[in-house]
Order: sequence, then structure tokens, then C-alpha cells
Amino acid sequence: MALVGNLRDFALADFLYLIDRGYKTGSLQLNRQSDEAMLYFDKGKLLYAARSQRSERLGEMLVRTGKVTPQQVAHAVQLQENDSGHALGVLLIEQGYIARDELQRHIQMQIEETVYGLFGWPDGEFCFNAGTKLDKDDVQSLVPLGVENLIMEGVRRVDEWGRIKDHIANTDMLPRFVDQPHEKAKSINLTPDEWRVFARINGKDSIKEIISRTGLSEFDVSRIIYGFIAAGLVEVTRPRPANAPAPTTRAGAAAVAAGIPKRSLVSRIINRIRGM
Amino acid sequence: MQTVKMVISGAVNAGKTQFIRAISEIEVVSTERKATDDTKDIKKETTVAMDFGRISVGDDLVLHLFGTPGQKRFDFMWEILSEGMLGLIVLVDSTRPETFRETNRIIDFFTAYRDAPYVIAANKQDHENAWSPDELRLALRLNSDVKILPCVATERETVKNVLLELLYVIMQRSTEE
Repeated sequence: MALVGNLRDFALADFLYLIDRGYKTGSLQLNRQSDEAMLYFDKGKLLYAARSQRSERLGEMLVRTGKVTPQQVAHAVQLQENDSGHALGVLLIEQGYIARDELQRHIQMQIEETVYGLFGWPDGEFCFNAGTKLDKDDVQSLVPLGVENLIMEGVRRVDEWGRIKDHIANTDMLPRFVDQPHEKAKSINLTPDEWRVFARINGKDSIKEIISRTGLSEFDVSRIIYGFIAAGLVEVTRPRPANAPAPTTRAGAAAVAAGIPKRSLVSRIINRIRGM
Repeated sequence: MQTVKMVISGAVNAGKTQFIRAISEIEVVSTERKATDDTKDIKKETTVAMDFGRISVGDDLVLHLFGTPGQKRFDFMWEILSEGMLGLIVLVDSTRPETFRETNRIIDFFTAYRDAPYVIAANKQDHENAWSPDELRLALRLNSDVKILPCVATERETVKNVLLELLYVIMQRSTEE
């Protein structure tokens, strides 16, 4: 079975969170207008990403960063045309033009940039096929990438309020750390501004108060907190009315408003339903 | 005669009416009319007031089931319906991720102001491409202590199971005699 939907309704950050926390293996196909992307995951980690309208090819990137010369790339391409069974990177290594580690680092950068670019899609159909595995012959490197930093970096590039408003309705909301932060959250890399916001999250101060204390803009603070939410570090709750009962987790704990029912009453209803 | 109330909520077309119909011992009272707003693309008839069902529990106790209106313009009804409720079932259409955001809004509303016991019913699990309860937990960002139950609202047994699971949650919070 496939998970299908549209990024307009379920953002890429949310989907990556699902893949990460669900330790999903499979392929995620994304389509928007004439553009298409394919991402492969193994146990919640990103293995590979490719996009049809790629801005920069591997050979171009290697030349731009000075790792190979245009002539070396041209030679490898020529060899590739004569022997289509090999990928460009493999041929560059075989010819001694680049070290394997260096090539892998660039492929990883290319994969990351591909994913970051997808965060800019305001919409697009997605289809996740669980269990689909990558054909290893198709790629030159299989370095599994943790998704949480991809989310954080991808969210840094979000420049529209709409996506943020999905999670943060207004600045009166209270951010707080989730009860059980994921173990992998420890490896998330934060910028100085993100740390400034992070350090002021205490479950009591609203986003508005954090904006005031950090001096950052409303958009920047909201975007940063959205990134924390997307990465599973933080959740936001609505401020409670002054006469409301003491705060509890979202799961709720006390049946305060309804009046706590007696056990015998609940037991009677249970028996009735069971007998239906 | 004592009456207690459970509320069945969820986004438009989540299956609230079917859910109540599957378990109510009376013909469900629904006020439906032709949809005139954004729901018209989803279903031809949609609930614009509420659904009401009933299960009698002996001669002196009756359980009322209220389905909330799906459309946002009827949000004001939620507060009225939720007063004094025993518990809440939030139905989610497992095949339509575009409704997850609205589902979260509903959960936030009821839990923020009522803090009532609730469970999530992952409806339409018989459909192809239905998101599993585990996937819905991640998509809706729900803690592990929130029950997410597979459901097919047209099948009485799964509806019974959802109601029972909610009652077990309520039982944990109930008082001794």
C-alpha cells in the first residue's frame, strides 16, 4: 500500500518526520508540474535523492569545487558513452581523477541540496511506497543520512508564512519541549539564532515573549520554532484560559470538565456495549 | 433517568454519521441538507447540524451519542456539545492526509478546553492506501498514550471496539463508589 497525498496538505518536513520516527524503508516520489523527484529511505534514513530538474549535475559540481577539471569530466563522460554500465563517479575514481571519499562527500552534498530544494515546493503530489528498495547499481554512494538535520536545514529555507501557520496559529502559543525527545535529536545542528530561541523555551513563555526577549523578528522566531516542531523537539500548546484547570499533556489526564464518572456507571456502559 | 453523553467529532466526511448509525439503537437523527460550501466536492450530503444516536443502558441510564458538525462555520457547536461529555472520539479519514490538519485542530480544541478522555478512530482502514494507526500517530504528532484504533465506521464490531476502548480510558479516570 502507498501513502499518497499533496505537500500542500502534508508538508515535506512532516513526511520526513514520519519516515524518521517510523523507521520507514521505501521510496518517496514527488511530482510538481513537469518536475519530479525520487527519494529512497532505509530504516528512516535518506539513502538517495534525485530530481529531474536538477540545477547542477555531479560533474558540474566537482568542476565548480575544483576537485576535477572539465577535461577529466569530459573524458569520463566519453568513457561512459562507450560503456554505459558505469556511473560517472565510478569512472572518475577508476581514472584516478578523484578519491572515493571526496566523491562520496560531493554526492552527499548533491543529495542534500536536492532535498533542500524540495522544501520550496508549496504543493506537489507525493506517493510513498513502503518496502521499495533502491537499486544499488544505480548510484555511486550509499551513505545513509539522518533526516533530522535535513529537516532543520530545509525549514531554514522556508520563506512563506502559510507553512509555518499550519503549526503555529499565533504568537500567543506556548512552546515546550516534548516529553520524550527523540534520541537522535541530540545530533541536530543549530545556528546561533536557533540556540537563542532554544534556550528561551520553558513551557511558560509564549512565542510573543520569546520574540521580545531575543529581539528577532516574529517570522524568524516562528520559523525557528516551526523547525523544532518539524524535527520533533518541541510542541506548542494554546494558552489556557485563566479559569481553566492546571495544564496537562495533550493526552490529558483528568476528566475535570465533564465531572469524573463513577466506576460502576462506566462498568455498566461497558457491559452494555459488549453485549450489543 | 440518568443520561450521559459521548461526542463523535472529526473533519468533514470522516465518517461520523456512519459511526453513530452503526451502533445507535434508534434511527439516527441527522439534519442533512444539500451542501453549499467547500464540502460539496467531498460529499453530496453533509451534516450541517448534528447527528444524534442513543444506547439505553437499563431502565435508568441512557448513553447519548452526538456527532459534531464537520464544517468550520459550526465550530461554536463544539463547545456546547462538549459540556458534560463523558468522552470524545475523534474520527480521522485515514485515506485523506489533507484532513489531518483539521483533525489536529479538533483535538487541540477539545483537549485544550475540556481535557476530556478521548481516543482516535482511524476510519476507512478497509480502503486501499489507508494510513495505518502507527502512521497516523506520527502524522498527527500524538503521544504514545493516546489510543489510535483501527475502524471501519460501517462495521458495527469495529465501532463497538472504539467505544469500548474509550470507556476503558474513562474507567481509568473514574472514581470509586
